[in-house]
Amino acid sequence: MRIPVSWLYSYIDLSLTPEELADVLTIGGLEVDGVDRPTAGSRGLKVVEILAFEPVPKSDKLSLVTASDGDREWAIVCGAKNFSIGDRVPAALPGAVLPGGFEIGAKTLMGVTSNGMLASARELGVGEDHAGIWLLGEDAPVGADVTEWLDLEEAVLEIDLTPDRGYGASIWGLARDLHAITGAALRLPEMPGNPGGDPRVPVTLAEGTGVRRWDGRGIEGVTVRPSPPEVQKRLVLAGMRPINNVVDATNYAMLETGHPVHAYDRALLAGPALTVRNAEPGESLTTLDGVDRTLDAEDVVIVDADGPVGLAGVMGGEATEIREATTDLYVECAVWDPVRVLRTGRRHHLHTEARSRYERTVATETLPGGASRVAELVTAWAGGTVVGGVDLQPIPDVAPQIRLRPARVRSLLGIEVSADEQAALLVRLGATVTGTGEGERTVTPPAYRPDLRIEADLTEEVARLYGYANFVPTVPSTGQSGRRSPEDEAARAVRRALAGAGWTEALLYPFIADDDLAGLGLPAEDPRRRTIKLVNPLSKEESVLRTTLLPGLLGTVRRNVNRQNTDLALFETGHVFVPPSEDTPAADGGPSGVELPGEPDHLALVACGAFETARHDRAARPVDFHDVLGAVELVRQTLVAGPLRVERTDEMPFHPGRAAVVSFGDTRVGVVGELHPRVCQAFEVPARTVAAELRLDVMVAGGANLPTATVPSPLPGLRFDVAVLVDDDVDHATVRQVIVEAAGERLSSCTLFDVFTGEQLGEGRKSLAFSLLLDDPDTQLTDTEEAAAIERIATAVESIGGHLRR
Amino acid sequence: MSTPPPTPDEVLATGTEAVAAVEAADDLPTLDEVRQAWTGKKGRFSGLKRHLGALDPDGRKALGQAINTATAAFAQAEQARRAVLEVERDRVVLAAEAIDITLPPRMPARGSLHPLRTTMEDILDVFVGLGYRVVTGPEVESDWFNFDALNTQMDHPARTLQDTIYVEGLTEAPTRDDGTTGLLLRTQTSPMQVRTMLSEDPPVYVAIPGRVYRQDTPDATHVPVFHQIEGLAVDTDLSLSDLYGTLMAFARALVGEEVKLRFRPHYFPFTEPSAELDAWVPDGQGGGRWMELLGSGMVHPNVLRAGGYDPEEVQGFAFGIGIERVAMVRYGVPDLRLFADNDIRLLSSF
Repeated sequence: MRIPVSWLYSYIDLSLTPEELADVLTIGGLEVDGVDRPTAGSRGLKVVEILAFEPVPKSDKLSLVTASDGDREWAIVCGAKNFSIGDRVPAALPGAVLPGGFEIGAKTLMGVTSNGMLASARELGVGEDHAGIWLLGEDAPVGADVTEWLDLEEAVLEIDLTPDRGYGASIWGLARDLHAITGAALRLPEMPGNPGGDPRVPVTLAEGTGVRRWDGRGIEGVTVRPSPPEVQKRLVLAGMRPINNVVDATNYAMLETGHPVHAYDRALLAGPALTVRNAEPGESLTTLDGVDRTLDAEDVVIVDADGPVGLAGVMGGEATEIREATTDLYVECAVWDPVRVLRTGRRHHLHTEARSRYERTVATETLPGGASRVAELVTAWAGGTVVGGVDLQPIPDVAPQIRLRPARVRSLLGIEVSADEQAALLVRLGATVTGTGEGERTVTPPAYRPDLRIEADLTEEVARLYGYANFVPTVPSTGQSGRRSPEDEAARAVRRALAGAGWTEALLYPFIADDDLAGLGLPAEDPRRRTIKLVNPLSKEESVLRTTLLPGLLGTVRRNVNRQNTDLALFETGHVFVPPSEDTPAADGGPSGVELPGEPDHLALVACGAFETARHDRAARPVDFHDVLGAVELVRQTLVAGPLRVERTDEMPFHPGRAAVVSFGDTRVGVVGELHPRVCQAFEVPARTVAAELRLDVMVAGGANLPTATVPSPLPGLRFDVAVLVDDDVDHATVRQVIVEAAGERLSSCTLFDVFTGEQLGEGRKSLAFSLLLDDPDTQLTDTEEAAAIERIATAVESIGGHLRR
Repeated sequence: MSTPPPTPDEVLATGTEAVAAVEAADDLPTLDEVRQAWTGKKGRFSGLKRHLGALDPDGRKALGQAINTATAAFAQAEQARRAVLEVERDRVVLAAEAIDITLPPRMPARGSLHPLRTTMEDILDVFVGLGYRVVTGPEVESDWFNFDALNTQMDHPARTLQDTIYVEGLTEAPTRDDGTTGLLLRTQTSPMQVRTMLSEDPPVYVAIPGRVYRQDTPDATHVPVFHQIEGLAVDTDLSLSDLYGTLMAFARALVGEEVKLRFRPHYFPFTEPSAELDAWVPDGQGGGRWMELLGSGMVHPNVLRAGGYDPEEVQGFAFGIGIERVAMVRYGVPDLRLFADNDIRLLSSF
């Protein structure tokens, strides 16, 4: 909504600057997005009268105009042709400045000298119309400064109207609100009601259209021509295009009163008679925008004897619009059902000034006043007389009686405002308040505020008029200790641990395509292939909800690598979306009985390139399986005391020789591994990219790990190394397990520190060297214990075909 | 005896000669040689001591004292000289061990949390400090919780396919004429207001972080997927002033005590009265602009009823904070789309 300040100020006694006014309205609940000064910066423009014009030789477009500014005559070259001798138009003579600081001089065109230029409305900063020179009308005083005469230094407020404040879409409504907020005096005209009589067009309102009230006026003998320039200027500043004096009067009245209006050329109405009814399927109407529309049975239409002439509450028809030759009018001012207007507008993709007002609910009681204002403006600007009017109200308007409990208002607002003060604020709004003392009051809202229906609405009005800026902030005690759930705390600890260990958190949209899952090589029966589809996805590539975090992270890897960010270690935590099951229960869908998906939380990691980047003193080390397994172990240490277990797996999307199912204790939590080469290819990520995907919800189920202290032994431990020679296919875990069991219960640590293969060991053999520490808080350990342990280990490793290197 | 014993005076003179030799030593090896020459087994002081046995007690005493005086003076001089020479040696040796201290520091690889995550956690910390419990809820939501229970009329534009992303039913899609289903990606964290009320008795004070969705074309200030933190407080006598105070406390904790705030009326279907809180964002040149931080209001009686509460018995407030907006100003990120782009160069700056 664009509100020229001077227009508003013609109805309310305020002298605030536009910026101050913007603040008052914003704090009052009508948010002003900005103060626009479209015409700022122009000066020295004059009204001139065209005395003569002739074609410029050798040019088929340009004319040489002779114009007078009252003092002297000027020769001005002009490209437009919409003027005639005697017209008064704005001229930028040499020395004048157009909006934006563009200075005008004399210049030569096609060998002819032009003293400045004649200006269109757009060149003056007033709207978009640049089809021709702005014809200012015969009242324009020749020689006057255009900027001063038209008061062009106009500020326009851009109001971002909330859906509840329909009255804000009218100058009069805003004036009333400013009166309520500031107490400034209102100067609204008293509007007469419907005059009665015969408007010359009989109207029938069919049942079931939702029309609440219809005010029609017949006007005869008008002369259609351009509106006065100051009217055009206001319309343009308010964001509307001037058409002619009749149509401009309907728009001007709508902007003032908030009542949309439509004028028909009576001569073009078949009958002439009008009926309001629901459209018949397949019926069509060419609307004012020239579009042929096939109507829907739910559209409400206005029809004459031949068929539809208007789409109720949205847009009129082209066939009956006002023309230059129009002399007799039928003016329709109606109140339609907000929901039906909204649906029709949506169905036909029509966003009109009328629709935006009806959607917000237009007041019924003030309708005849709105119609009278149109009639007044039409007859003032286009002549003619009102021959009669009709006022039909099939749905009676009952003003609500709202109970107001002053004590409750005080309690809800937390301000000390007495019952009388509350009543006074509402009265200033135009409400009628009955009742006395601190007891209950009964409030009848003013006619222009159909949005006020319940006590909470009144509470808001009291708060708004009391002034949000006057509230004293208080911080309530919640009476409880604030906290996150143990699961949230644990998830937070995991993210912090990973970030601290070199992993970077990514946050991705949870949308993927089914093709992504094929790209991961998941077999058809994999539960992750059972995706939940979106009805209206953002794009084809984002058509289903993710069942795995990997496609998103791999896309991020690809994007980064394409930008030369080659060394990556990324992680994400977030929901995946799966059909509900015992393992992944869903929230309750509520009374509508709809079934929601399960939303288990996952943690995924992806790394590629160098895990340790190159330095002057160290070569780069490419990431491998064990880096990502290390991150998983870090997560385990953060969350649980039980050991990390790995078990080889050949499931996709992983390399069958380089992937493991991971368990924390006995709980399976996910899979970690190098990606299968085909998957790297499908997602266009570097070869040997390593990834992991884990069930975060399962891992954090017990909260973060609350560690039990390891009490250090007061006696020095016994440290020694053993090296075991085994066949290549015996894995580390097996060897270690044998050593740990053989070393006995005094073993406090066992660390692999070397893996060695070489000719001297024999083909297919390898040596694993471990460093062991025995600890006993009660006994000083000696070489005897060391020798005994080594002997036990030597015997034990024979069970796996190994022997101790001595 | 080839030579007669020296007199005490001769011994003292020899001592002076020894001290002079110490002081003449200009490096540690030379000093060691001097010490050897004087105090070693074959050193000159040892030679002097050999005379003592041949003297009578008086003579032995006199000569002994002189030798002690001389050796003590020698030891003291040698120690002092050694200290000086050691400092000198260290100076030279350690200077030669100098390294290039401007070489790049060696540090463990550093990761980072996403700026939206950090912003969200920081905001939650404020509300935890104020006594709120953190709870979360589903992102795929029924239209009952997302709209109906929040007092949003059936024909509200937000319900259309143009504004909301709908999800196909899990079993058979109960698609309606307008293409919507009963299942959608929540457009706000507010459905959790009603979920919380249905599962807990008042009083409740909860903060609800989460991701929300709108059918929006991305540009610098709009993205279709973003984050909110919802707050809900319902108790016996909470007021709009309490809401204002709570929001101010939050904004000051997050931005600083000096933050300039503006509390103004607004409209939401699920609160009445409703309010927005703006923060003044200075442009660094004396100007600035108001930025909407959050929407809020007193919980609408219809919403309390949908949550199974009696609006005559309890009252409360709710608010929703846009995380992206806060993070944008906080970190100087010019375009919201950068948050979802996950370029490591951006992420590494946090």
